[in-house]
Amino acid sequence: MENIYRVPFIVLQVPNLKIKKPSWFVKPSSMVMFALILFSYFLVTGGIIYDVIVEPPSVGSTTDEHGHSRPVAFMPYRVNGQYIMEGLASSFLFTLGGLGFIVLDQTHSPSTPKLNRILLISVGFISIIVSFFTCWIFMRMKLPGYLQS
Amino acid sequence: MLPSKANAPHAKKVLFPDKQPTNSRQVKSSTLTNAAGLSSLITFTVLLLAWISGFASRLFAVIRFESIIHEFDPWFNYRATAYMVQHGFYNFLNWFDERAWYPLGRIVGGTVYPGLMITSGSIHHILHSLNIPVHIRDICVFLAPVFSGLTAISTYFLTKELWSAGAGLFAACFIAIVPGYISRSVAGSYDNEGIAIFALQFTYYLWVKSVKTGSIFWAVLTALSYFYMVSAWGGYVFIINLIPLHVFALLVMNRYSNRLFTSYTTFYILGLLLSMQIPFVGFQPIRTSEHMAAGGVFGLLIFVAVFRYLRTMLTKSEMKYFGGFVTLTAAALLLILVILTYSGLVAPWSGRFYSLWDTGYAKIHIPIIASVSEHQPTTWFSFFFDLHILVTTFPVGLWYCIKHINDERVFVVLYAISAVYFAGVMVRLMLTLTPVVCMLAGVAFSGLLELFLKEEDKDGSDREGGEGSEEESEEETERSSRRALYDEAGKLRRMKHERPKGSGDGLGANLRNGVVIGISMLLMMFTVHCTWVTSNAYSSPSIVLASYSNDGGRSILDDFREAYYWLAQNTPNDARVMSWWDYGYQIAGMANRTTLVDNNTWNNSHIALVGKAMSSNESAAYDIMTSLDVDYVLVIFGGMIGYSGDDINKFLWMVRIAEGEHPQDIRESDYFTERGEFRVDSEGSPTLLNSLMYKLSYYRFGEVKIDYRSPAGFDRTRNAEIGNKNFQLTYLDEAYTTEHWLVRIYRVKKPEEFNRPRIPIAERTINRRTSSFLSKKTARRKKGLIKGRPTVVKGQKPQKKSTT
Repeated sequence: MENIYRVPFIVLQVPNLKIKKPSWFVKPSSMVMFALILFSYFLVTGGIIYDVIVEPPSVGSTTDEHGHSRPVAFMPYRVNGQYIMEGLASSFLFTLGGLGFIVLDQTHSPSTPKLNRILLISVGFISIIVSFFTCWIFMRMKLPGYLQS
Repeated sequence: MLPSKANAPHAKKVLFPDKQPTNSRQVKSSTLTNAAGLSSLITFTVLLLAWISGFASRLFAVIRFESIIHEFDPWFNYRATAYMVQHGFYNFLNWFDERAWYPLGRIVGGTVYPGLMITSGSIHHILHSLNIPVHIRDICVFLAPVFSGLTAISTYFLTKELWSAGAGLFAACFIAIVPGYISRSVAGSYDNEGIAIFALQFTYYLWVKSVKTGSIFWAVLTALSYFYMVSAWGGYVFIINLIPLHVFALLVMNRYSNRLFTSYTTFYILGLLLSMQIPFVGFQPIRTSEHMAAGGVFGLLIFVAVFRYLRTMLTKSEMKYFGGFVTLTAAALLLILVILTYSGLVAPWSGRFYSLWDTGYAKIHIPIIASVSEHQPTTWFSFFFDLHILVTTFPVGLWYCIKHINDERVFVVLYAISAVYFAGVMVRLMLTLTPVVCMLAGVAFSGLLELFLKEEDKDGSDREGGEGSEEESEEETERSSRRALYDEAGKLRRMKHERPKGSGDGLGANLRNGVVIGISMLLMMFTVHCTWVTSNAYSSPSIVLASYSNDGGRSILDDFREAYYWLAQNTPNDARVMSWWDYGYQIAGMANRTTLVDNNTWNNSHIALVGKAMSSNESAAYDIMTSLDVDYVLVIFGGMIGYSGDDINKFLWMVRIAEGEHPQDIRESDYFTERGEFRVDSEGSPTLLNSLMYKLSYYRFGEVKIDYRSPAGFDRTRNAEIGNKNFQLTYLDEAYTTEHWLVRIYRVKKPEEFNRPRIPIAERTINRRTSSFLSKKTARRKKGLIKGRPTVVKGQKPQKKSTT
């Protein structure tokens, strides 16, 4: 067995190398992984792939009755279309809501003082509510008959 | 089941109450109050309710319209199922459908995933053997809603394996009503996805189970369920890539175990063999790149296993050489794979899958894939529309899973990441994202509610916290009163746990209750949203349209079926109907006529030929139509009633697809105005105004005045007065136009019918037959013909027979 292994080294000379594992290369911690995933989730739900393929403008514009052009943030009535900013805004809200839930969970840590807990709960809850209702308003802008008929 | 990494304070909290505390809290003899009995009763009730509500909310279309097959693809599935029920399974496998893709035909048995037909066919068989005479159409209509309940149950089991039973119940309730799944499984939407999502979830459940137990039994079941999935849907590729990815990730994370080895090797070998039994799949699992990852991971896993075994035998210095050997072999294998791919033995990624990675690929190379609206990339709207509140809780569930990672949670994390990416690329793949979102949202909600409901009595009722509080708010109040009862008994123990918290003790039931109420409100809004979306967006059969007037009255536009029945009644049985491919399955299913192209878009050049005929001018189109033996042309026109899904709006895709195959004849730029607009009014490009599709859509439309304010020939879909009004058709003849002009059918004239000078009747000379006998034989066929027959010359007696 040993002899077979030696065969290539009759011709080759083993260089004196010292390869060190680079110090920055460590197994990423779970929270780093989560942050990465959350960030990519933020991008994907914002329709970044749509933006890359279809290349919509970042904000739309329309001309009103006086002939002035006004910016429009939302592409109305078009379910399968969006502007870049509107996608990012709503995916920001999705992420905000998610973070609100996580904050709510964090309140349970036993070492937090009471005031902090109440603050944390209210912060988490407010962010959930805000994200939820803003998404609602966005839906209304996008689809004017939403939840009405 | 307890998380491996949970640190001490978390472990104390019993966050993961998989183990039901079976300590008898109260001395009760009744089975109802027995903890295990109660929890299984709650589980059963919630699952049953989820099934019923999921089934019921999918019935909007049936109640509003009728028990009818929806849309396009379901019509083919229904036709194939009816054929199978009528002619038997083997005839179905050998079915050559000469009514599709004229003149090519289609081998149906070998180009279809038969799982759907077999499922409903066997249900039909069972019911009939029990003497319950149900028409096969009703089975087809209600198959998907029934399977949605099975999906909910398998989701429950999967989530239970991953997290806890409470989370499982949440997930089951979510998936029963979430719009992202309802969109593909309403009653009447008889499509592969309806049963495939169940198969997907069930396969994943069995896989997780087999990884957890490491038993061959579960792995074999996984393979069998995978076989069902392969027979049902092309999306099985997702499984055969995700499971190897899971194995690979576990290997990278240094989580190799013998359980993993057993389950994956068993699953892979059996799954490979079984999947090759489906005729449509055939040898793809060993020949295409989509399946290569599974094989590679299989090899790698065996390698790792051998390596770990050898490490126990060999010395350290020998292992060093061994490492080099491993790298060499891996490189050699990769090289062989690349060579095989280049030599064509292993097919490269097919276009559909390639477009998942290189997102711009389909847009440039395969317009036929890009033209389908459900292959468009997803906007934020679809995420919120299909998932609502779950879209925000999805990261939370992911966070829980990553925080307390173990073998099977690696799986769900990978599932989540890949599904999110795919859903972003294609609207259609939202369907694969939906189950994992429901599972993770279930985890998130159950985790939260456990925290906020349970704090009062830690050991008492930790199970109920996560369970069933999703929809049944009345149950919640009942439970809280029960909890007050438990409080008496549990108070002493509770104090012990609460003490280290110090000031956190009096956090206030009010605040917690507020949070709980808020969360329940969110969930309630979720159900409202789901019902609204189901009712308004996903319950339209799309072959029967309904329009609502301002006073709430409803009018039904049944033009599609009107046209198809006209075709069925008034055309010869072998008439060939040309239409755009969207309507191929419907024509075949409802009118039972031969079509040129249909929704099984396997032959791009044939579709391009039809697209070319539609986009050329009349005479050029006539050449194509005669060469294809077309008898009738069918176009969908929505300008009269403002229906936006008509052929003029799809027209640019016809042009694009035709241009892909015939770039010298058709150019997309010809159909735009100089300013690059696509418009049908008088400023539109002349090529467009003279194309066949334009003429067929707007023939005699210029004479129509819809109301007093708009000019004649006003197209309500595109809000424009049409540009080309008074024209005649030379080569075609209007055969039928439905009530609302939605479908227009034209007959293609035979070559002798047009372009003949018209003679006034007075000048015509008409030859009347002298005898009233009409032979059915044509002039040519009247005379029989025998080869080598001696010809008889009239007027001579055949006296002298010249014998040789």
